[in-house]
Amino acid sequence: MNTPYPCQRQRRLVGRRDFLWELGGGLGGVALSALLQEAHADSGQGSGKGLHHAPKAKAVIQIFCPGGLSHVDTWDYKPELSRRQGKPFDPDGKVQFFASKPGNCQGSYWPFRQHGTCGRWISDLFPKLAGRVDDMAFIHSMQSKSALHGPAMFMANSGFILPGFPSMGAWVTYGLGSETADLPAFVVLPDPRGLPPGGVINWGSGFLPAIHQGTTLNTDPAQPPIDDLFPEKDFAHLRGPAELAGRDFLNTLNRAHAETRAANSELEARIGAYELAARLQLSAPEATDLRGESEATRKLYQLEHEDIGPFGRQCLLARRLVERGVRFVQIYCGAENTGAKKIRPNWDSHEDLVRDHGYWGAILDSGAGALLEDLKARGLLDSTLVICTSEFGRQPAAQGKGRDHNSGAFTAWLAGGGIRGGTAYGSTDDLGAKAVEKPAYCYDLHATALHLLGIDHEKLTFYNSGIRRRLTDVHGHVIQELLA
Amino acid sequence: MPRPATLAFSVLAFAPALLGATVDFDREIRPLLREKCVECHGPKKNKGSLRLDAKVHLFKGGESGPVVVAGLPAQSPLLERVTTEEEDQKMPPKGERLSAEQVQKIQQWIAEGAVWPENDADRAAARDPRLDHWSVQPVQTELGAAKSVDDFVEAKRISAGLTAAPEADRRTLIRRLSFDLHGLPPSPEQVERFVQDPDPRAYENLVDQLLASPRYGERWARHWLDIAHYADTHGFERDQLRPNAWRYRDYVIAAFNADKPYDQFVREQIAGDVLAPGDPQSVTATGFLAAGPWDFVGHVETKSDVLKRAARAGDLDDMVTQVMTSTMAVTMNCARCHDHKLDPITQQEYYGLWAVFSGVKRSDRNIDAAAEGLYNSEKARLTKQLGVLRAEIARLSGHGFELASLLPPDSGIDRRNGTVTKEKQGYYRDLRTNYLQKVDKVPGVLAVFVPDGKSPVFVADKTPVKGVPESSGHAWDTIANRPLNAQRGTQLNGADYAGKGHSLLGLHANGGITFDLPAIQERSGLRAMRLTGVVGFGAAEAAAGTRADFSVYVDAELKFQRTRMRKDETAVLDVQIPAEAKTLTLVATDGGDGIGSDLLFLGDPKLQPADPVLTGVDEVRLKAARDEARATEAALAQLAEPARVYAAVPQAETPVIRVNRRGNPEDTGVEVTPSAFAWAKHAPAALGGNDLPEGQRRKVLADWIVHPKNPLTRRVIVNRLWHHHFGQGIVTTPSDFGLGGDRPSHPELLDWLAGELLRNGWRLKPVHRLIVTSAAYRQSSQRMDPKAENVDSGNRLLWRQNPRRLDAESLRDAVLATSGKLDLTPGGPGFKDFDYTEAYAPIYRYVAHEKPELWRRSIYRFIVRTTPHRFMSALDCPDPANLTPARIRTTTAIQALALSNNEFMLRQARHLATRVENESAARSEAIRRAFALAFQRPPTEPEQRAAETLLSEQGLFALCRALLNANEFCYLD
Repeated sequence: MNTPYPCQRQRRLVGRRDFLWELGGGLGGVALSALLQEAHADSGQGSGKGLHHAPKAKAVIQIFCPGGLSHVDTWDYKPELSRRQGKPFDPDGKVQFFASKPGNCQGSYWPFRQHGTCGRWISDLFPKLAGRVDDMAFIHSMQSKSALHGPAMFMANSGFILPGFPSMGAWVTYGLGSETADLPAFVVLPDPRGLPPGGVINWGSGFLPAIHQGTTLNTDPAQPPIDDLFPEKDFAHLRGPAELAGRDFLNTLNRAHAETRAANSELEARIGAYELAARLQLSAPEATDLRGESEATRKLYQLEHEDIGPFGRQCLLARRLVERGVRFVQIYCGAENTGAKKIRPNWDSHEDLVRDHGYWGAILDSGAGALLEDLKARGLLDSTLVICTSEFGRQPAAQGKGRDHNSGAFTAWLAGGGIRGGTAYGSTDDLGAKAVEKPAYCYDLHATALHLLGIDHEKLTFYNSGIRRRLTDVHGHVIQELLA
Repeated sequence: MPRPATLAFSVLAFAPALLGATVDFDREIRPLLREKCVECHGPKKNKGSLRLDAKVHLFKGGESGPVVVAGLPAQSPLLERVTTEEEDQKMPPKGERLSAEQVQKIQQWIAEGAVWPENDADRAAARDPRLDHWSVQPVQTELGAAKSVDDFVEAKRISAGLTAAPEADRRTLIRRLSFDLHGLPPSPEQVERFVQDPDPRAYENLVDQLLASPRYGERWARHWLDIAHYADTHGFERDQLRPNAWRYRDYVIAAFNADKPYDQFVREQIAGDVLAPGDPQSVTATGFLAAGPWDFVGHVETKSDVLKRAARAGDLDDMVTQVMTSTMAVTMNCARCHDHKLDPITQQEYYGLWAVFSGVKRSDRNIDAAAEGLYNSEKARLTKQLGVLRAEIARLSGHGFELASLLPPDSGIDRRNGTVTKEKQGYYRDLRTNYLQKVDKVPGVLAVFVPDGKSPVFVADKTPVKGVPESSGHAWDTIANRPLNAQRGTQLNGADYAGKGHSLLGLHANGGITFDLPAIQERSGLRAMRLTGVVGFGAAEAAAGTRADFSVYVDAELKFQRTRMRKDETAVLDVQIPAEAKTLTLVATDGGDGIGSDLLFLGDPKLQPADPVLTGVDEVRLKAARDEARATEAALAQLAEPARVYAAVPQAETPVIRVNRRGNPEDTGVEVTPSAFAWAKHAPAALGGNDLPEGQRRKVLADWIVHPKNPLTRRVIVNRLWHHHFGQGIVTTPSDFGLGGDRPSHPELLDWLAGELLRNGWRLKPVHRLIVTSAAYRQSSQRMDPKAENVDSGNRLLWRQNPRRLDAESLRDAVLATSGKLDLTPGGPGFKDFDYTEAYAPIYRYVAHEKPELWRRSIYRFIVRTTPHRFMSALDCPDPANLTPARIRTTTAIQALALSNNEFMLRQARHLATRVENESAARSEAIRRAFALAFQRPPTEPEQRAAETLLSEQGLFALCRALLNANEFCYLD
């Protein structure tokens, strides 16, 4: 890679870091990011960084559907539930869900059909994804330790129901570093309607160094892709050549300052960080500029569609970021519960499941379906692990025209990098109320994802408050059944 | 597994020998074990986790349980294993088996009670080595009061063959000291004064000055709030405001400034409300226990008891963890699911600490019982007075006609069919919205309807109206002359409308009711009328956030409307109705956030004569009564609510705590009593029985923590001070003094400082003084000794001072101080540098307005948990979900972008440019001034030249922006 130095002046720095700059991505990028980002972040607390075995996947795209995606209406075929339609779910009246007493049994609102050569059942809510079922592997026995959005979101992302723990993306970038010197290693694409329940804590770095927190990319095309990438509002005139003289002067000051302080290597790193920032000003707008995408691609992601388009854009951005070496991309398909609008702002369908899952289902189906197709067509699917999950599922019993929260069962699926498509693991009871066969938690999903990335989840640790913390706490096993 | 038959045989076989003398363990058994067993079951191999080389090991047994049951040979696997013939069972597995006589000796020894006299090795083995861990040993007291910090530091450093750096120059020193003690840069004038000060004690004087300034408390409170994980919102999904949390923050600042003895500081924060219930400061201190996050949905909103118990478990864990790690650096929370893996702390002890706090919850509370009482009695008096006046006004102006009286007693109108029913109804599943449902059976009422505001709304035949707010179109319960189904309260502004002499009309959103005015005129004899009454909510306090609207139409004309009323708001109605009007319609809608908790009702809804016929005397009195009523209303509105704080609130009940097996609140084990832990053996761990009153539990724990003989508490706090003065502690894990943590680089120094703390009456300022006046602190941060980095790269031996980057708060404050915009207003509610939107989960959007209030010190920032301040986070400001004993420091491109381009930085750079321009006459002077403000030094010759070039090309702003981004600005030498 040989992009011009952003200030278009002759580089003055000569040394090891410049050599790495020339190398750009790949190994050089890893070493560079280590130099710039981690060397000074209180070393000595972490261990087990780097690859533990040969990886199958280089990058992860995780699609998160906040609010609680109903597994019984989508991925988890429960004919018995439909047979019991209208019959009491809880004849003793002892059960209390999150917000309601259970209503009667309510079968799937969408018929199920078998798809692909694997013949797995998928509901009619997802016609496009159904066409990709031979690439997808399902965990039907997912469970959460909380039926509340906040704690369950934290658990799905960090393994703990309390806030303050590093998210999976943070652990992965902490363990593996970056493949690119031009973009952040962990990027989050929130729903343009707003942040998910729990907010930015969901992609926080917890007690890991802040460099590992997810960088939010603005998904609104009218905004600059990264906050503070350029001076805003009445300082907009600073963009361009006006910046260069100031940057040069700053460099002079910092050079002179560092020369007399040889024992402080942080100063060098900070000078480097300003160089990297300047590179980001070029690379981030380039990565998010979709004008170069073909008409076929734009159609595939339905970018022009009023409701479906924004999520399609998120998915397309994710593909572009992975292409450019970003390690972990998290896409949110839904926002926070911000008051009763015409449609729920996420999957939390308490009062009208057909309306809300119908709306969000079309969005997820189009975007995620396009993403799988596109990644495969470009040969990226083999090295990219795609994960789709929610924080919990929904009850098989009715709550009016909706369904209440269900932490006892939900489905997550994986595709790509090292996953054996068309398979499934674990199952729920006849009604889909509870995981019964091979119950799984996010620990197992996380352990499996780390495994595919070449990380042993028991070895990647960081010392905090008396304990060597792991993403998987003291749990987790790699789900071999889903691996290719 | 023992097989009785075999055993019986072996016992029989040696039965005659039973008649012999008592077995001598040391002569007959110990050598036998050593010879036959210890090779595999000893210190080397430890197979099956079984050791037989010392008493404690044998009786503990191995993986499959005990191996010897004293007195019962037949139940002792040891005997079984040496006699069995089974290949995979027999012991020893290889080599010669035990002789019949040896087996008999073992059998007899067990039968005789397995007596094992202890020798030294037994005693040594019985001792848990973790009990010898350095941090729980008593603090050494024989270190000599005449010593100094440098005595200890030098001794260590010299023994490693390292030399210290020379003392830093005065400019460096004042900058270092000022940031350390105040979190702010010194002004150029202060620097100049100090550099020129001929007094040999100039440095000591400066230390005293800085410690005496209120800026000191503002700086050091930040460190304490980091380990209290303080914030101004709840966190979790619904991250609501804590408008009264700041009083605790101010308490911490005041405590540092007053140099409150540390033991008292700790005691007050754990049990201040018990120690001095009449002292507002002491009560406020318990904000400490409530400082962490709290899940509203889990505690209040969910209907599931399982989820509520889980939330409470998280709550108690948070309190216990915070108290124990902050004061004693013990990682107590590691014992939540099992005994602590590293430290000898049991799971039962952990839950014993839950029992200490089981009777407290987090909430807003009064801090001054007297003021609270005064407020309540005054409010009651005024409310009563107002009630009397209103009744008088009602009597004088004519009684009017009670709307609720149109309905039969204790009944309501079914919104689906317009019939009258005594039944309470809930959520209507099968309702037609925007449909005008005729009401035939209630003279005076024409119709009811449920509007959604999206389709046309008719309040009567051929009477469409405009302005009905959009709503969900859902509805709850009948329109009733009684409290609604699930209604929590019937009081508004202190008057109970379900009480005698009052009437009440329940109108839950969404719904409307249209009255037939001609019919009412006929019935009451009234002509032109006024509708009077008060509208409010009968919802629970917890629902205060949700909104509703209320509208009144006379015919098609909107006469009154309040939108998005909160639950704690009311509206007084006084609507004129002309004599010829045909219909009166009342409409309640859901405020756009669903119908949850929209329990709207009207208190005393009446139609009164518009122009009452009064005698002269009455008229005078009526006017006077109305004036008095207005004055009383104003007095009520002005009555200042007494001060509150978000803090610990004792509950009526103190639930008994049981061990949660594997940390699961749904799987409880043995009951526990309030306790600390036995590892720190300065005082008994048991704090009392379960009959100990709630407040006493906390008091006893607080006393246990600040016990002068507690080996941890004093060491922990002096190490925290050291940590912040040197960038790393004597123990580098300031909140973990356990076996997983660091060991002290200078154990004697740590103990000496802990002793100095006690000698100085637990006051911290004298300890600060000892540290910052030491040569170790005052030395340069330059590396002078080239080999030092190889010998001690981490600088544990202090061969120089550590250079440090400013933390997020100091950097922000330094920018403001440099630009001249820093507002030093102390205390009070935090400044909100965000736009706030009320919602189910409130939305916080950060802004950089040009408001002096937003330029206050960072300690006064209103801290939002779920939406951290991006700029501050980029600079490593920690997530307040975590207890943060030490800030992590990263160097990132995002940080560089934030400092270069964030609006706050750019605006302040502009202010700095203006300031420099105003404070200097010439260009060269401007550059000097800018350097003095930002770096506390003049520019060098090359810097001056480069700055002049920049100035002429790009102006002063570019120079100022660069200075605020410079490494020298962000780092301390």
